[in-house]
Amino acid sequence: MATKGTNSIHRSSSRPLLDLSKAEIQGNVEEKYPTILLPNQSDDLSHLALDIGGSLIKLVYFSRHEDQSTNDKRMKRVKDKLGILNGNRRSYPILGGRLHFVKFETNKINECLEFIYSKKLHCGGWESHHADSTNNENAVIKATGGGAYKFADLFKERLGISLDKEDEMDCLVAGANFLLKAVRHEAYTHMEGQKEFVQIDPNDLFPYLLVNIGSGVSMIKVDGDGKFERVSGTNVGGGTYWGLGRLLTNCSSFDELLELSQKGDNRTTDMLVGDIYGTDRDYPKIGLSASTIASSFGKATLENKELEEYRPEDISLSLLRMISYNIGQISYLNALRFGLKRIFFGGFFIRGHAYTMDAISFAVHYWSKGTAQAMFLRHEGFLGALGAFMSYEKHGLDDLMVHQFVERFPMGAPYTGGKIHGPPLRNLNEKISWMEKFLQKGTEITAPVPMTPPGTTGLGGFEVPLSKGSTLRSDASALNVGVLHLIPTLEVFPLLVDPKMYEPNTVDLSDHSELEYWFKILSEHLPDLVDKAVASEGGTDDAKRRGDAFGRAFSAHLARLMEEPAAYGKLGLAKLLEMREECLREFQFVDAYISIKQRENEASLAVFHDLLMELDSLDEETRLLTLIEGVLAANIFDWGSRACVDLYHKGTIIEIYRMSRNKMQRPWRVDDFDAFKERMLGSGDKKPLPHRRALLFVDNSGADIVLGMLPLARELLRRGTEVVLVGNSLPALNDVTAMELPDIVAEAAKHCGILRRAAESGGLLVDAMTNTSDSSKENSPSIPLMVVENGCGSPCIDFRQVSSELAAVAKDADLIILEGMGRALHTNLYAQFKCDALKLAMVKNQRLAEKLVKGNIYDCVCKYEPAH
Amino acid sequence: MDPRKAETGKKSDQIQSGHVYHLALDIGGSLAKLVYFTKNDEHVVDSEKKNPPKKALGISNSNRNSPVLNGRLNFKKFETSKINDCLEFIKSMKLHLGGCQQPENPGSQTITIKATGGGAYKYADLFKEKLGVSLDKEDEMDCLVAGANFLLETIHQEAFTYMGDQKQFVCIDKNDLYPYLLVNIGSGVGMIKVEGDGKFERVSGTSIGGGTFWGLGKLLTKCKSFDELLDLSYRGNNRAVDMLVGDIYGGMDYSKIGLSSTTIASSFGRAISENKEREDYKPEDIARSLLRMISNNIGQISYLTALRFGLKRIFFGGFFIRRHPFTMDTLSVAVNFWSKGEAKAMFLQHEGFLGAVGAFMSSDKHGLKELLANQKVERTPSKLSFSMDQIQVPQKDWELNGDESIECSVYGA
Repeated sequence: MATKGTNSIHRSSSRPLLDLSKAEIQGNVEEKYPTILLPNQSDDLSHLALDIGGSLIKLVYFSRHEDQSTNDKRMKRVKDKLGILNGNRRSYPILGGRLHFVKFETNKINECLEFIYSKKLHCGGWESHHADSTNNENAVIKATGGGAYKFADLFKERLGISLDKEDEMDCLVAGANFLLKAVRHEAYTHMEGQKEFVQIDPNDLFPYLLVNIGSGVSMIKVDGDGKFERVSGTNVGGGTYWGLGRLLTNCSSFDELLELSQKGDNRTTDMLVGDIYGTDRDYPKIGLSASTIASSFGKATLENKELEEYRPEDISLSLLRMISYNIGQISYLNALRFGLKRIFFGGFFIRGHAYTMDAISFAVHYWSKGTAQAMFLRHEGFLGALGAFMSYEKHGLDDLMVHQFVERFPMGAPYTGGKIHGPPLRNLNEKISWMEKFLQKGTEITAPVPMTPPGTTGLGGFEVPLSKGSTLRSDASALNVGVLHLIPTLEVFPLLVDPKMYEPNTVDLSDHSELEYWFKILSEHLPDLVDKAVASEGGTDDAKRRGDAFGRAFSAHLARLMEEPAAYGKLGLAKLLEMREECLREFQFVDAYISIKQRENEASLAVFHDLLMELDSLDEETRLLTLIEGVLAANIFDWGSRACVDLYHKGTIIEIYRMSRNKMQRPWRVDDFDAFKERMLGSGDKKPLPHRRALLFVDNSGADIVLGMLPLARELLRRGTEVVLVGNSLPALNDVTAMELPDIVAEAAKHCGILRRAAESGGLLVDAMTNTSDSSKENSPSIPLMVVENGCGSPCIDFRQVSSELAAVAKDADLIILEGMGRALHTNLYAQFKCDALKLAMVKNQRLAEKLVKGNIYDCVCKYEPAH
Repeated sequence: MDPRKAETGKKSDQIQSGHVYHLALDIGGSLAKLVYFTKNDEHVVDSEKKNPPKKALGISNSNRNSPVLNGRLNFKKFETSKINDCLEFIKSMKLHLGGCQQPENPGSQTITIKATGGGAYKYADLFKEKLGVSLDKEDEMDCLVAGANFLLETIHQEAFTYMGDQKQFVCIDKNDLYPYLLVNIGSGVGMIKVEGDGKFERVSGTSIGGGTFWGLGKLLTKCKSFDELLDLSYRGNNRAVDMLVGDIYGGMDYSKIGLSSTTIASSFGRAISENKEREDYKPEDIARSLLRMISNNIGQISYLTALRFGLKRIFFGGFFIRRHPFTMDTLSVAVNFWSKGEAKAMFLQHEGFLGAVGAFMSSDKHGLKELLANQKVERTPSKLSFSMDQIQVPQKDWELNGDESIECSVYGA
C-alpha cells in the first residue's frame, strides 16, 4: 500500500513508521503482544495426550495458533485510547490455539505413531523442536486407558517418549466436566431419531451421573471437579454386545455388527409380551404393550431352529436392545438412588449410533416414566483423552469459558466418522489432491455425498473414501468432532440483556424445509463464489485448482449436513455462513471479494463529497431521514444475495444506488423511524442529550459503508456522539473488515473536516506533519471516531463471542446500530440490548421477507428499540 | 426313608387310584406348570405316623371331626413347546375331570380349569379342542403373589438363603412378612412389591431372564434342554469368555473402586478374539458365563428396586432358578455385592410353581382365608378347602427336575 505523501494526512500502513507515537506504542508492546504468557510453556509437553483403549486410540493435542490479531498500528492506537489493553489480556491463561481430536484403531497403532511423528507431537511444546532435540529423551506424554500400560514400551522405543499413566476414571470425569462447561451445546438428547442439543448451565451442572459404556459399564456420580465416586456399574456392556455378537454372527468387527442391527427385526429372536399373551394382546394391567420385550432371546427357546437359521441382523438388534435397555434401566435406578437429575452416557459402545442412543433413551424414559432423560455428549469418545490432557499441570484450560471456544470443521469432516487412516495431510497441496482423488473415485455421485466408510476426524489424513452407493453408513448419524479453536480474547458482548437466553439465529434450521431452502441458496451461489475466489487470486491455474477443491469441499459439507443436520453440533444459519468463509480460508483464499470491494469503495468515495454537500443542505430532520434512507438504500449492495448480484449486470453501483434511494418510500415494512427521530431530535423544544457512544456494526463495502454508514457516523459525531465502527476481523463476502476501515475513513476524511478530526482523535489518522499537529491543537479535543474488530469472520454476528476490544468499547456505549441482513435479520433481529438499538436492513430475499416481515424482496426494516 | 422314592412325581403318577380333586395350570412362555391334588387314603396313615406331634396351628386338632382328605399336592412341569405332552398327561391322569363335580355328565356343563400365564390365553382353544375344558384365566400376577404369600405364610421352611454352598432356612414371622419384593424369574423377570394379600404392584422387571439364558444358550451350545444347559454351566469356567477386572488392570485389583481382579468387568468381553470361533469355546464355559451374566444382572436390578421401595426382603422365584445352586449362589452374590452385605437374596422351595399354586388357590381363596383366619373348615360341598399345619416338604436332591409332590391334608366335602 502506497503512502500518499502529498497529503498532509498520512494513512498509516502496517509497516512501522518513524513517527512520534512510536515510544508510546512501544511502551505498550509488552502488553499488546504478551506472546509468552506462560514462560515455561515451551518446556512443557502439554500439547498431546492419549487414551489407548482396547479398540481405539484417541488423541487430543493442542497446537499454537499463529497470532492472527491485527498488527495494525491504527488499531493499536484505538485500543490505547480506550485503555483496553491493560488488564484483559494479562489474565488470559494461555494463548490461543487449537484443540484437535483424532482417533486411530488400536490394532493400527503404527499409523498412530506415524501421525504423532509427522506432526512432531512427541517433540514437546511448540518451540522445543527448534531447540535441543535431546530434550526428547525425557519427554513424557500423559496417557490413560489400558493400552497406556500395554504400549508403553512401544512408545518409548519408537518415539522416545514415556507415557505417564493417568487414572482412567479421573480422566473420564475431568474430560466430561471440561466439555460440559466449555463447549456450547455439548450435550444432546436422542429420542426416536431426533437429536436435540441442550445447553447446561455450568453453575448447575453437578451432581450428575456419568455412565461410561466400554467393555463393561461404569456408573460414576460426579459432584464436582475431581469429586466423584464410582457408585455402580454392570458387566453387561459393549464387550458383551461384541463378544456375544461375534459368537452368534460372523461379523468381523464391532462396527459391522452395529451396522447389521440397522436391518434387524428382533421379533424373530425376542419373546414379546404379545408372544406370551397371544398376538396383539397387551397386558395393560402392568402397562406392557404387546411389542414390549418380555424375554430377550426368549423366542429362541420356543423354536427348534439352529443358529444358522436366524438372521444375524435380527440377532444383532436383539442383543443391542437387550444391552441398551439394561444399561438404561440400571443407570436410571442409580440416578434415582443418589438423587441425580442428569444422566450422561458415553463410551465406545455408543459411537454415535442412533439406534443405541434411542434404545438407552427409551429405557430411561420408560423406567422413569418420563421424568428423566438420557443425554449424550458430542465428544463422547474423547472424554478420557481430554481428561489426560487436563491432567497436565500447566494446560491452562481450567478457567476457560464457553465463549472462548469456536469449533470449526475442516474439509475432511463430511467424509469422516471418527477414525483416521493413512498418512496425515501435511499441506494444502495434499489436501487438494485428496479432494481431487475423491471425485475421481466416486464417479457415480455427482456431488461428493459422504456415504463413505469412516475415514478420519478430518485433521490429518484421510482414507480415500469409497462410494457405497445408497448404503447407509452405520454411523451416518454419528456426529463429527471438529477442531476446537481456543480464542482467549473472545468475550460475551456486555450489552446483551440476557446472555443465557440469547439465541443469535432468527431462522430455525431444525425446520427441514428451511434447511433445504438455505442449502439450495448456498449451492446456487457457490459457482459464482468460486469464480470470485479464483479471480481474486489472479485466476492462475493454482487458484483454479484450489477453487475447485473449495467448491467440492463446501458442497460436501452441505451434503453432510443435509444427511445429518446435527452432524456439526447445533446448526444455525450463522454457523453455516461462517463455515463457507472458513472453508474458503482453508483453501487459502484470503479474500475472495477483495478486488470488487476495492473497486466499489473507490467508486463510492468518488461521489462521497457530492453526497455530503447534498446532506448539508438539508435541515436536521430531513437530513436524519435521508441518512437512514441512505443506509437502507446502500444496503442493496450485497454479494451474498442472488438478486443483488443480478442487479450488478444492469448498471454501475452509483446508478443502482440512486435507483435504490429513489425507490425508498415510507412507511417501510418495519418502520420505527419516528421513535428513533424523537430519541435523536426530541419533540418540540425538548432537545435530548446526544448519545455518549454509538457502535456501528457495518456490513458491506462500497456504497454501503461509504454512502450509507459513514454519513450516518458523521452525523452522530457532529451531534457529539463518539462513534465506533465495528468491522469483521476476517473477510466474509464483500463485508468491510476492520482492517479496511481505517483506509476508507482516511479517504473519506479528505472530503470532510468532521470525519478528519474525529479520525485523528480516534487514532485512525496519524499526523506526521508538525503543522497539522499544531492546527489540531487549536481545537478542543474532538469527539473520536474509532474502529474495532468484532472477532468474527462471518457475515453474521453471534454476540456470545465477540472480540475483547469490542466488549471493552461496548461498556460505554448507549446506542448500537446493526446494519445489514446478516447482522440485523439472519441474526439478532430479536436480540435485546441494554442500550438503544437500531436495526437497519434491506431484505434482499423474498422468502425471508415473507417469513420475517410478511413483506417482499427489497422491503426495508428500520427497527428501533430503546434500552431495556 | 428316602424321600425321593416316597414323594417324587413319578410315584404320584403311579397312584392312578388316587382321586384327583383339583388341577390348576400356569402356562408360561417356556414351561407349563401343573399343580393338582390327589387323594391317597393310604397316606393318611403314613402322614400321621410321620408327623406325630402336629405343631402350632392346631388346625388338625380342631378339625379332627371333619372329613379329612389326606393326599398330595402334586407339582409337574412341561416345556411349553411340548404342550401336547402336557395335554396327554392331563388326559391320562384324568386330571381335567377332577375340577368338575359332575363327572357323570360332562357334556351338560363345560368343565373349567383355573389357569394362569400367557399360555392360558394362547392355548385356550387347544385345551377346549383336545380336552373339552375351558381355561378359566386368572391374572398371572395375582396368582404369583397369592402363591408366594400362601407358601411363605403356611409352609415351614419355604424360604432359604443360599451362599457359598450353604443353604440356610429362614423362619419368617408371617406377621413380619410384608412388604417384600418378589422377583419372578420366568422367561422374563417380573419384580413385584407385595404389601399383603392381594395388595401388590409390579414395580419393575427386566427382559433378561430365563428365556434369555435358555435362548442364547441354545444358540451358542448344542444343548437340547434347559436342564442340560444348567448342567453344563455347573462344569464351566467363565474366565475363558468373560473379561475380568484383572484382565484389564494386569492382574492387580482395581481397589480404588472396590473391585477385585476376579470381578467380571464385561460378560463375554473376551470372546472377541479374532482367531477364535464359537466352536473353539467350551460350551460349559459359555453356559457358565451366560448364567453368571443373567443372575448377576437380575440380582443387581432386584436390589436397586428393593432399595428404591424400601423393601427389606427379596424373594426370588420362577423356573429359572430351579434351585440350581450356582444360580442361587450368583444371585446371592450379586445382591450381597451391590448391597454391600446389607441385603440377602432368599429363595422359595417351590419356586417355579408360584403361579400354579396361586391359580390353584384362586378357586377357593375365601375358603382358605377363612380357614387360616378362623381355623375352621368351610364345608361348602362344591368347593374344596384345605389346610396344612405342617406340610411336609420333601428334602430333595438338587438335580430333581421339578416334578414333586407335597403331602398334605385337605379337609374336603
